[in-house]
Amino acid sequence: MSWDLLIFYYLAIVMIVSTVLAVFSRNPVYTVLLVLIMIVHQAFVLLTLGSDFLTAVQLIVYAGAVLVLFLFVVYLINLRKETQLNIFIKRFSLSFIIFLVSMFFLLKNLGVLVALKPTFPAYLPFDLEKNSNTWWIATYLFTNYLLQFEILGVILLVAIFGVVFLIRKVREVG
Amino acid sequence: MLTQGHYLALSSILFLIGLFGLLFRRNLIVILVSIEIMLNAIIILFASISYYTKDTSGYIVVFFIIAMAAAEAAIGLSLVVLIYRKLRRIYSDEITFFKG
Repeated sequence: MSWDLLIFYYLAIVMIVSTVLAVFSRNPVYTVLLVLIMIVHQAFVLLTLGSDFLTAVQLIVYAGAVLVLFLFVVYLINLRKETQLNIFIKRFSLSFIIFLVSMFFLLKNLGVLVALKPTFPAYLPFDLEKNSNTWWIATYLFTNYLLQFEILGVILLVAIFGVVFLIRKVREVG
Repeated sequence: MLTQGHYLALSSILFLIGLFGLLFRRNLIVILVSIEIMLNAIIILFASISYYTKDTSGYIVVFFIIAMAAAEAAIGLSLVVLIYRKLRRIYSDEITFFKG
């Protein structure tokens, strides 16, 4: 077995096991920490896919910002009754049937998906021999995708204003 | 030999685990975390397509997805805090605000 397969299987197994444990764990703190393990391994999956820039972005934004936000909210909302309540039985059968059926059909037809080859040339081709991956992303992001980049900035600004608007204390009038 | 099929299988399995968690958990925070798991599966899908077809646009879509996920998590968690402050409960079948 070659090295890339070995590394891929390690990353995939750790990701799947930690995700399953996160979905099934009773304590939300454990859920967030297991998803943190999954996201760090996923950053290295992006590294095996040839993008060092996206690895850094994934580690900084997801592991550094989003999951810390989740942890803050979990600590803010004190959930003592979670451990006593039986929360798993209720909708288990229906969602598990949906999960199994979709997984079966997806893995059965995976060969067809893999065998599909693109018949059109690459829209924005890159060449790692010439320049690094970060150079290519920056070049296309600031030329072809400039408008979308600006719109993304506006969306983040609206999200910040929306959070401040939602969380503010409402003063009772009259 | 590592092919695109490996990445597709990993991405689809993670997406279905996230969908499963979204359907059967009742805690609102865990539902939001399941949405994050599904977004991460889509990130793997786009990055693998981009790597195997030598096309940069998939990486740029991944960049956009990460930024959108940050905005979505902020808005969703503020809604969760708001619901908890108003109703003092966080399980999705106990929130019957609009039923009266």
